[in-house]
Amino acid sequence: MTGWTGRVLRVDLTRKTSKVESFSEDFARKWVGGRGFAAKILFDELAPGIDPLGPDNKFIVALGPIAGIPAPNTGKAVVAAKSPSTGGYGDGNLGTRVAEHLRKAGYDALIVEGRAERPTLLLIEDDKVEFLPADAVWGKGTYETNDWIYAKYGKGAGVLNIGQGGEKMVRYAVVRSLEGRAGGRTGMGAVMGSKRLKAIVVKGTKPIPQADPEAMKKVGSEDLRKVHQVDKETGWSIQSTNGVLAWCNEVAALPVRNFRKTFHADAWKVDGERLNNARVATYGCPNCTMRCGITIHDAEGRESELDYENVALLGPNLEIFDLAEVGSLNYLCDDYGIDTMSSGCVLSFYADAIDQGAVAGRFKFGDAARAKALLGEIARREGDVGNLLAEGSLRAARTIGKGSEAYAMQVKGLEVAAYNCKFIPGMALAFGVAPIGAHHKESWVITFELKQTSRESYGPEKAQKVIDLQRIRGGLFEYLVSCRFPWIEVGWSLDNYPKYFKLVTGLDWTLDDFWKISDRIYALMKLFWLREYPRTDRKLDYPPAVWFDPENVDSEGPIAGKCLEYDKYDGLLQHYYDIRGYDKRGIPTKATALALGLADEVAAVEKIAKLT
Amino acid sequence: MKITVKIIGPFIVSAGFSERDIDLADGATAESVVALINLKNPKPMIMTRNGQTLRPQDALRDGDRIVIAPVYSGG
Repeated sequence: MTGWTGRVLRVDLTRKTSKVESFSEDFARKWVGGRGFAAKILFDELAPGIDPLGPDNKFIVALGPIAGIPAPNTGKAVVAAKSPSTGGYGDGNLGTRVAEHLRKAGYDALIVEGRAERPTLLLIEDDKVEFLPADAVWGKGTYETNDWIYAKYGKGAGVLNIGQGGEKMVRYAVVRSLEGRAGGRTGMGAVMGSKRLKAIVVKGTKPIPQADPEAMKKVGSEDLRKVHQVDKETGWSIQSTNGVLAWCNEVAALPVRNFRKTFHADAWKVDGERLNNARVATYGCPNCTMRCGITIHDAEGRESELDYENVALLGPNLEIFDLAEVGSLNYLCDDYGIDTMSSGCVLSFYADAIDQGAVAGRFKFGDAARAKALLGEIARREGDVGNLLAEGSLRAARTIGKGSEAYAMQVKGLEVAAYNCKFIPGMALAFGVAPIGAHHKESWVITFELKQTSRESYGPEKAQKVIDLQRIRGGLFEYLVSCRFPWIEVGWSLDNYPKYFKLVTGLDWTLDDFWKISDRIYALMKLFWLREYPRTDRKLDYPPAVWFDPENVDSEGPIAGKCLEYDKYDGLLQHYYDIRGYDKRGIPTKATALALGLADEVAAVEKIAKLT
Repeated sequence: MKITVKIIGPFIVSAGFSERDIDLADGATAESVVALINLKNPKPMIMTRNGQTLRPQDALRDGDRIVIAPVYSGG
């Protein structure tokens, strides 16, 4: 087997032990890496029904065959566990030097089990594994923790850490790395916190196994230069991801006032032009030549790295249009180690619930000062409000009641990313069927809906497009593991990825070969959900009810008087199931699962729930 | 007729403006606006009028708000 180390490091925090396990070439070919490895390990090793915040959950760091290789945007790792926010399979990816270091230490994945007796820093240096005290930074934010780690181990080390949000098990706490990087908005930071695992530090020195390392080095360095050149020619990184904010505002797709409005006259104050004008620094992940992290000075004068999702959800969604104040909210989320997107949705839900009279409280849209204070209360789980909102919008809505679940902007318990789908059926489907909850990383179809077909359509072409993109975004890039931005943002050809894969593994796979892997992993994630929720039905794949509410339509603008329609959405959902070979519950049929090579998994699931 | 053109994202650099009112002869089309503002890297692009998709050959109307953007992929 070439291209994989063939080794997994298993660590038990309870017993302070570790061991190295090997995996077979068949396993590598079937699951490839990253999300594929993580989903398979969690499916095989977690008993159904375990508490995601208990010691029985497992925290996975998984890499793929091209992770850490010097080639376009390979400096990423997947973090995964049973999700505290959804109760289903959860994961995320983030830019980190861990990608390169863990592979150089000789591992394709790390499995963390148990719960440490006291706050712990897990140090991995090639074959050496140490469990070190982290009491000095327990209770500290991610920036201070990162500095503490860098002072001990150097800036070049691979680092994953959590802030107070993770320690206090906020259900949307993230894992942080490289000062400005975060991943695992499905609560992966909370899982680390539940294990009293403050940080993971990795230093590896061995060569990463490759079939043709000289050719890979040559092609990789050339392609890094080419991606940089294309980025310069297209000018994408001038506004980076936040270029899309002004466009969303024009086409009525911007989240404003807890998604109740789709555009706002003041949105220009936080758009990509203003962000670029305020830029004081630019950051990127390892092996990236199209850096997306635009940093500004926030209202308190600190550096805060912004992108579209956090600007939109902490800005217009809260009716805050001062970019420096948005920067402050973003900085606090990053320092506390809580997800910026979910935080924006949770705060907007709270303001909305107060506005609707469902709950009494001191917070209203546009109140940046109170929003900042609330983030601290959430991260520290202070008081009734901090505790309520730390649970996420779905659980908070179920506590509040009074119909508030309808405007809790989430799917499966994970808050919606920053695209308002009040009248964008295909994107609503993309959120609905995303296998970890409402994340945009799986599929994004809005320009397709406006340019290639009609916004009004609920036709099968939209379901097919969602699947096509899931195979690429949620599939290929999540198991190779590599950032999708070169492909989606500057048009770097997908044909490059089988090329890299061949240079590393020696395997001559086509993109169609990869799509089958993607479909297998998506089916496995669905089986994971079925095992956790045996009475599941298609309603789990519905987007928030407020998007279907005729009383919530825009009174003016491009989609005035329009909203999603239940029967039509359900038809679109059925198109998706039909193309995927899923049953009416949204679960792979037995024939589909077996055709994807999931015989063992089918047998495991059928002990609990029947497949059709 | 007078229309408003809104340029999005990196296209602003080559257009030299982000929003401008433009006078056009009657019968002008969407593609004639693109030619007029001389984008250096205009493709792929998506044009909308008042928030709805606009095709290159579509005739413009007085008071239209035309948005010209790269084909975003949603980060």
